Amino acid sequence: MSLATDMTRKLSFAAVCAAAMLAASALQAQQAVQIQVTYSNGQFQPNQVSALADKPIVFRIKNLDGKAMEFESKSLRVEKVIAAKSEGVVNVRALKAGRYEFYDDFNEKARGALTVQ
Amino acid sequence: MLAETQSGRHRAAALCAIASLMSVGGFARADDVDSWHEIETKYIFGFTTGSGIGLEGEKEFTTDTKGRFGKRDGRYNATETKYEFEFTPSQFIQIEFGALGSTHDIAGVTDLDDRKQVAFAGGFAEFRYLAIERTSSNPLAVTLAIEPTVRVIDETSGEHVHNYELETMVNADLELVRNRLYAAFNLLYEPEYTQTLTNESIREATFGGSAALSLRLAPGLLIGAEAWYLRHYDDFGLSAFTGDAVMVGPTLYLQFTPKMFMTAAWNSQVWGREVGNALPLNLAEFQRHRARLKFAWEF
Repeated sequence: MSLATDMTRKLSFAAVCAAAMLAASALQAQQAVQIQVTYSNGQFQPNQVSALADKPIVFRIKNLDGKAMEFESKSLRVEKVIAAKSEGVVNVRALKAGRYEFYDDFNEKARGALTVQ
Repeated sequence: MLAETQSGRHRAAALCAIASLMSVGGFARADDVDSWHEIETKYIFGFTTGSGIGLEGEKEFTTDTKGRFGKRDGRYNATETKYEFEFTPSQFIQIEFGALGSTHDIAGVTDLDDRKQVAFAGGFAEFRYLAIERTSSNPLAVTLAIEPTVRVIDETSGEHVHNYELETMVNADLELVRNRLYAAFNLLYEPEYTQTLTNESIREATFGGSAALSLRLAPGLLIGAEAWYLRHYDDFGLSAFTGDAVMVGPTLYLQFTPKMFMTAAWNSQVWGREVGNALPLNLAEFQRHRARLKFAWEF
């Protein structure tokens, strides 16, 4: 087998693997549970949300306030600063059943919780 | 008589301190505790490391100084400081790396040269993987960590050397009372290879573990205690045992702002033995006291 043929086969195999991984990741994104939360007047709305266990979650947080907020959760192990009047997206791994608190790290009073069942 | 009076005073002072701490703890009622944010457990146990790996996207700069004080004779004070950058690229992995600086102040210690120096000591990296995560129904979390370190200055003697160390650890912790009381357990295996300037090569390993308790008195204030049992070997395979030691002491964690905290700990050797030496304590491989002071800034 020539070197060129061998190289072409290896590259084709790598391309097929990459395509399969992209397809899998797109499928996973489709399966992710979307949770919409707005942040206004220093509060999350709604502040109690729920999701199914063992499915990845995408939080979409719309900050309607005139100053930045930081969406943070120790148990979800995420943090993201969201500028004033903008939206932030936070991807969370598939979770086990339980209660997961989140809050605005810039505002002690803004809190919420995700219940996973 | 004087000694008895002083001993009585020390006991009374200790009882007052314990009563004060318990009453401070009592100020935090159950409803207050429920309103506290969850806490990152990595640094709340002193020398013992908790399971925390930070939050995805979080970056932190820290200075972490460990001091070792006291040998069998003479004057022995040594410190090693990590200037460390740590970040959490995913919800299961944390990576740290940085440079090491050391100081040595040694005079009249058997088997060590007198020395007074401040030096760049090497570099390190650490990889942490969260193997078991805590949930509201599972209080246990476990992280596996490996930390390769390269030194150009020997930790103990301050001599110029080539030293390669691989610290491997299991960091486990338990939330015993929600938001209030935590326990931690570490298991350590640390082989290291040293080549001196005279081309002598030394293989050694430290094996041991720790247990720690930490009580949260206020949202950003925790106090606790820890105990370490460490064994030293003159090989990697843990067959050439040279001695062991038990170290115990108090711990403190203080959060100044949501993005800035410090941790402090003091350990004293309370028991130890050296193979071939009947004297109490192991002061050949370990020290009488050690201290840790760490400051961290998250961004």
